Amino acid sequence: MSFHERNITVSLVNFILILGFYLTSLLLLARGGNFNAESVYRLWGIVAVLATVGTVLTIIFVHITANVARTITTGEGHINGDIQDERDKLIDLKGTNVAYRVSSIGVALSMLTLVFGRPPLVMFTSLILSGILAQIVADISRLYLYRRGF
Amino acid sequence: MSKWQINNNIRKLRFSHQEMTQEQLAEKVGVTRQTIIAMEKGKYSPSLELAFRIALAFGVPLEDVFSYEVADDANTHLPE
Repeated sequence: MSFHERNITVSLVNFILILGFYLTSLLLLARGGNFNAESVYRLWGIVAVLATVGTVLTIIFVHITANVARTITTGEGHINGDIQDERDKLIDLKGTNVAYRVSSIGVALSMLTLVFGRPPLVMFTSLILSGILAQIVADISRLYLYRRGF
Repeated sequence: MSKWQINNNIRKLRFSHQEMTQEQLAEKVGVTRQTIIAMEKGKYSPSLELAFRIALAFGVPLEDVFSYEVADDANTHLPE
């Protein structure tokens, strides 16, 4: 698995866990009757921190662990795999394109909740959900392109 | 309508150049080994700049490395 594939895999696993956490938290809030602005804003904060800081820290940890393991097992130090060449950039771009499309659909669906008379909190909650889903779908499409070759 | 594709002789050229490894070629042209693998399998068509760098790495003209051919029939006319 290349440097970039490993990054994407870590990001994918992270965002799947974040999705699980987000949905579980929403379910608990709804069941407990605490689906109010204060609780939901707090949940957004947690999700935002997990999505940014959590992903970066996890990627750094995985790379350090992988490099230490490789050095111990093979005795090789740095491998010329962490450069981003034109194929990596194109795959990244295609993934971003997929994320953009998914989040566009998500935004449109979120606006529909307002059209159907749901409170704005539902719209904002579904916006965050579509953002997480967009990242997951983009990571899956990037991994697919890497596995296929392009 | 005929389907056109870019073919390459990278694998053959590597072996005729002292069995150059994919890693060595990748380092010479500044890409990852995975990109060389993708090109050899015909999954990825490089940019013009990378194509020239590969040709220079082997010391041959571009057309000795890459060719543009019809995939499904013998028609060799350029697409309109």
